[in-house]
Amino acid sequence: MAEITFSGVTKVFAGDVTAVDNLDLHVADGEFMVLVGPSGCGKTTALRMLAGLEEISSGTLSIGGRVVNHVLPKDRDVAMVFQNYALYPHMTVAQNMGFALKIRGESKAEVDRKVREAATILRLSEYLDRRPRALSGGQRQRVAMGRAIVRSPQAFLMDEPLSNLDAQLRVEMRVEIARIQRLLGVATVYVTHDQIEAMTMGDRVAVMRGGQLQQVAPPQVLYDHPANEFVAGFMGSPPMNLVRARTSPSQGRVGLAVGDQRLDVPAAYGASHDLPREEGAEVVLGVRPEDIEVVGGDASGPTLRTCVERREALGAEILVHLSVADAGQARSVAYDEDVAVARPTMLVARMAPQARVEVGDVLTVRLNEERLHFFDGSRGVTLRRERA
Amino acid sequence: MTVSTVGARAPRLTLRRRRQLAGALFALPAVALVVGLIAVPIGQAIYYSFTQWNGLTSTWIGPSTWTQAFHNPNLWTALENNAWLLLAVPFALGLPLLIAMLLHQRVIGWKIFRSIYFLPTAISWVVLGLVAERFFAFQGTLNSLLHFFGLSHVNTNMLGYESTALSALGITFVFTMIGTNTMLFLTGLATLDTSLEEAARIDGAGRWRIFRHITLPHLSRFIQLAFVMTVIALFSALFSLIFVMTGGGPGYATTTMEFLIYQTGFAQGDFGTAALYGLILFVLTAIVGIVQLRLIGSDE
Repeated sequence: MAEITFSGVTKVFAGDVTAVDNLDLHVADGEFMVLVGPSGCGKTTALRMLAGLEEISSGTLSIGGRVVNHVLPKDRDVAMVFQNYALYPHMTVAQNMGFALKIRGESKAEVDRKVREAATILRLSEYLDRRPRALSGGQRQRVAMGRAIVRSPQAFLMDEPLSNLDAQLRVEMRVEIARIQRLLGVATVYVTHDQIEAMTMGDRVAVMRGGQLQQVAPPQVLYDHPANEFVAGFMGSPPMNLVRARTSPSQGRVGLAVGDQRLDVPAAYGASHDLPREEGAEVVLGVRPEDIEVVGGDASGPTLRTCVERREALGAEILVHLSVADAGQARSVAYDEDVAVARPTMLVARMAPQARVEVGDVLTVRLNEERLHFFDGSRGVTLRRERA
Repeated sequence: MTVSTVGARAPRLTLRRRRQLAGALFALPAVALVVGLIAVPIGQAIYYSFTQWNGLTSTWIGPSTWTQAFHNPNLWTALENNAWLLLAVPFALGLPLLIAMLLHQRVIGWKIFRSIYFLPTAISWVVLGLVAERFFAFQGTLNSLLHFFGLSHVNTNMLGYESTALSALGITFVFTMIGTNTMLFLTGLATLDTSLEEAARIDGAGRWRIFRHITLPHLSRFIQLAFVMTVIALFSALFSLIFVMTGGGPGYATTTMEFLIYQTGFAQGDFGTAALYGLILFVLTAIVGIVQLRLIGSDE
């Protein structure tokens, strides 16, 4: 078992395409680190460099304190689970799982013992003599896991291992993988584009975009204190609402103009955030769907007049899509893959299924004044001051 | 709930029966072709093997052709030559496999090399035979090369001796098969999931183990196909090479079953015996095919 350190690791592909740009990341021994981001963000390339399947263009990569930049994959003592499982089709489950041990020269009895042990953990004992093609998707996935764990490697690398499974199985395997990782306590780097997997599985989550690390933090910290607009818009389902607004101070209080509406911002944000003091500076206001509630028209606090455009009943909750009532000037930010695009302002609110909301209703909603987020209008970084 | 059956008549044919009928109708042209082009000629060959046939008129003579044929030493020589030529098969598979593995590594200029290796396939075997004949001839390219490298004392005349002519034919055959088999193996390699190789690399396998445990099992179907094609070519497509290189000689040293059929039928005008030899060759080829199909089938 070992810790993993990326120090300024960069990967440039032919044609001057920078896939990973100066990545600094430390994975502690036994930690479950999730690399998450949209397609093409460099997460898989980072993982493949760690596995030794891609050359490192610059920077240093170390496993267990040993620099492995030029170490062959077979000598890195890492095990990888591939997206398509990469099971050897002509070998049985037992042979697949024992292949690495056999190569290592372990005795047949020892290989057999380890394979059976892993099969018990993964509930695969009755399938050991089957070939991969005779297994279901979930069973194949577990064999791929088994092939990794029998080796007792220094680190597990997992490249979107659940993306080929159906939704229900994915939920089951999510729990299963997290359970096994905790059981074995091996440093794990897990690549996914699914932010739910990232939130539920990782001890810490590293969000990547365009080859660059955006933020690395425990899931809840990432959710509650996103470092920038992108992280805020990527994490959470549905993601954080991001509204373009202009500062509009009044009587010493910070206020925001959202289209032609004015939104009062509690004074405390003046102290905790670097909100621009001048009139008309552009900021992005962020608010999570669960932090929006319907109130009466005369309610105090940060309120907005909205119109219900769509209502999605999910059983346990409803998602209400609200357009901010104005002359069409208000805009919101959305991320289409990793490109920020401006759209007419829409807010998504998460409400209890009992909420009597119908399409076409005009509602006043109040934003939870303790959970507002502010980002720089041009650079997208959070305006929250670092806590001392 | 009740279902109204008013106005519904039982169909004359069930859906299943109609499907079967349609299937049979669609298969009919193909069946007619197979019967007309394969079954009828085989039947005719069996019939003619019991006759004395000069190509125009045939006289029934019973099984005497069969008894005489098996006492003909030339038949056994031809079968023996066919058997010896089987030794060329491992080379006709091994060399293309090696070349395909190298080309698959995307070495510099691999596309050019691929074209070069495939070139013999696009050239008539008559031309290849002529080139090979010039290569192995006493005053041919091989001896010039040996002379160039200061090896004049090992002057060869491979086509001139009974002991070496068959080897020269085998070498030429290997050369003619390289293109097709290389392409076949390259196709096989292209269908190999690269993540399998990557998984094996991470599992600790070196080049040889990856080849032995990942690549080779994946290619087994392609190798089996290449094997069948090569053996069938060896039994039934060497005629043009033999005709231009050796004419079956010296003596009967390079006469294979296929060439013997030609000699017996067209040179000696004994079509009845030639038909019998044709049957023997057909049975030999069919045995190879069936054994191979069994091997492929056993993998399922």
